[in-house]
Amino acid sequence: MKKLLSLMLVLAMTFTMVTVVASAEEVAKPEKITILADTTIFSANNGRDEMEARWEELTGIELEIIQPDHDAYYDVMQQHIASGEWPDVMILSSTYYSSYAAEGVLWDMTEAWENSETKASGRFSGDVVFDGLKIDGSLYGFSATRGNGCVTYVKQAWLDAVDMTAPTNFEEYVAMLDAFTKNDPDGDGVADTFGVSAAGFIGAEAPFVNYLPEFYQDAYPFFVAQEDGTWVDGFTQPNMEAALARLSDAYAAGYIDPTTLTNGTGDCRNKFYDDGFGAFTYWAGTWATNLKTNLEANELPGDLVALAPIAEVGAYYDRVPPVWAITSQCENPEGVFKYFIDTMLDGNEMQMLWTYGVEDVHYSFKAETILEKEYAEGQFHMLENLEKEGTAYTKHHIDPMLSLATFAEGVYDPKADSVKPEAAAAAQLFNESSKLATIVPTTEDMTMYNGDLTTLKNELVAKVTMGEMTYADAMAKFEADGGKAWSDAIVASLNALAE
Amino acid sequence: MNNNNVAQPLRKAPLKVRFEKYKWFYIMFLPVMAFLIIFHYLPMFGIRFAFTKYNLIKAPVFVGFDQFRRLFSMPNFWSAFYNTLELSIVKLLLNTGMAIIASLFLNEMISERTKKLTQTIIYLPHFMSWVVTASVFQMLFSPTSAGLVNQMLLKMGVIDKSIYFLGDSAWWRTTYYIINVWRETGWGTIIFMATLAGIDPGIYEAGSIDGATRMQKMWYITIPSIANTILTVLILNLAKVMNLFESAFVLQNDAVMGTSQVLQTYVYYQTFNSGGIPDYGYTTAIGLFRSIVGMFLVLACNFASKKVRGRSIV
Repeated sequence: MKKLLSLMLVLAMTFTMVTVVASAEEVAKPEKITILADTTIFSANNGRDEMEARWEELTGIELEIIQPDHDAYYDVMQQHIASGEWPDVMILSSTYYSSYAAEGVLWDMTEAWENSETKASGRFSGDVVFDGLKIDGSLYGFSATRGNGCVTYVKQAWLDAVDMTAPTNFEEYVAMLDAFTKNDPDGDGVADTFGVSAAGFIGAEAPFVNYLPEFYQDAYPFFVAQEDGTWVDGFTQPNMEAALARLSDAYAAGYIDPTTLTNGTGDCRNKFYDDGFGAFTYWAGTWATNLKTNLEANELPGDLVALAPIAEVGAYYDRVPPVWAITSQCENPEGVFKYFIDTMLDGNEMQMLWTYGVEDVHYSFKAETILEKEYAEGQFHMLENLEKEGTAYTKHHIDPMLSLATFAEGVYDPKADSVKPEAAAAAQLFNESSKLATIVPTTEDMTMYNGDLTTLKNELVAKVTMGEMTYADAMAKFEADGGKAWSDAIVASLNALAE
Repeated sequence: MNNNNVAQPLRKAPLKVRFEKYKWFYIMFLPVMAFLIIFHYLPMFGIRFAFTKYNLIKAPVFVGFDQFRRLFSMPNFWSAFYNTLELSIVKLLLNTGMAIIASLFLNEMISERTKKLTQTIIYLPHFMSWVVTASVFQMLFSPTSAGLVNQMLLKMGVIDKSIYFLGDSAWWRTTYYIINVWRETGWGTIIFMATLAGIDPGIYEAGSIDGATRMQKMWYITIPSIANTILTVLILNLAKVMNLFESAFVLQNDAVMGTSQVLQTYVYYQTFNSGGIPDYGYTTAIGLFRSIVGMFLVLACNFASKKVRGRSIV
């Protein structure tokens, strides 16, 4: 009996292996792949043709890139979908990703991903990110990077001026804001500083709370799935009352820049560079360098402390990354997956292409002087931007700090030579202390009511924070204006979807 | 009865003859007609989506008047509708009024050089984009020490605490009108200045001989001379009343949505805050409603013009 069982097991394993090998071999190589991409890949003025030629050289497949202007990307994408001229692959933000998946526009790549070379490479570290991309257990999109998010940067010079260390909990954080507001940290003798500023009290897109995480803490104003899988509207949960109380207290005390309501992100950056405030929650990674450089350009100390999340925050939010998705009209999705998606993080030449571009067009190893900096023969360096003279390229589509896979063993990884230490430190801190924002599925009720609901929620958050309304009054208005009914309808539809 | 004296109506020449006679006019008109058809009439077929549910992926589903029923049941829609009318009409009256006053003052200026320089200076704000205008005024009206207006009012003792002009519902509209008047008054004077330049100087000379003062000449000669232009400008601008978007969009913020949300920004937020693919049937229904209201406003003004002036304008 044992022998029979063993024989059967061996036969089953052999059959499975043969099937897998056969299916892998059966994937036909596409002759041409059409992609719709935004400006996260090099534009025509920035050597896109050279990038395209290099990709074709590496794969032997013709690549057609449709690349609309940055602002028009989603308009053009919807026009393609509406007209029936679907590309083979397209880049999608999280909102379009979940909506298009629900509408059947996207090819289910779960099986292809499970059998992919990237997943089996041992270099891939994005399982958590990919779990977050799954919708009802199925994967419809691929991302080569994390989504990235914001960390709180604090001016070291201001901490020194008020004789404090980086805060670790909310009490210390508020004490720091108090000192930044009242103790003249910029030393100009005028009480003209604030503790913190942001572009609005609530973000315009998910994860909404990422510009003021210390105040929101565990509260989240959008729809969230609980541990048991049921959905709730975070805005109606008790922790939102506590979050709004923290915001309104800090606003009333003058710790929060009073023009936060009308600030854009550019306004905040400029105020930060002009020493207007001391704690700024902004993008991790490259922005750490940008903030430092701009402060120094204003002849101010550029040292910043990238704050580990305070105890009450626990973890910063990592955005759901934009994904490459194969459309369900693609004639050979397995082939497109194998040659386009699964090669992107090959740990070798293709990953180099997607991360840094084309040699001698975007980066080089030649001995030369680029932007007044000398490089020796064999030293990796990025070249001057073809479109913006006076600046150098920093990356191509894949941000090396956010990449979900390392280069293969023995292959040169230019990351250490291309990333500034403060940017690498901020990125590492973020990667180690962030959690992935949830993808919220789209429902008909969501489409119907969420526009009005979001406007109402944002208005109430602003008014409670600025002391124009109490929390109780805000909730009464929420109910009276239809917000509760819309919220309940959306929650019910999400729960119905989950069942 | 002898009908010999009754005038016979002139017979039109045959169509072929007329076409032959005016063929070059028709040929020259062809590109204009093609433009009108392609860009103005063909898009009108999109109106049908107002009676459907449509997300650009699946075929539109006919739902009759459901989108309009939903629209009229939304409090935010009505709030946006009333805001659109109020903001646009007050803005129109203020801008036109200020443009008339500015034109009259400019017309009275004796030095041609000063007049031209003043005209140039007051035209300039119109060429500033709304985004830049909003940034400048956010700074000027800021409640912090950087806000020039608040600092001046505080120094003059007019107020004892800074006002968040653009962040306070009670102040937002006033601030909005001030910014609009600053930006559009100069531009609005162009058409009035052109009309004023066409007034026969002989009438003013006759007024002077009759002993009319400068104010009397302005009141009895200048203003009646531009009355028709004022009405025309008002009617033409009334057609645009429902198109309010950019100025409201760049100056509004979360705290003042109740007073600053207009129909176009309402459509924008319905599209981009829907949490998924928006229902284009719904947003088309809003657009159609907006167009119908705009059309009625123009027709009403045209009717009023007929009554007041004895002739219509469109």
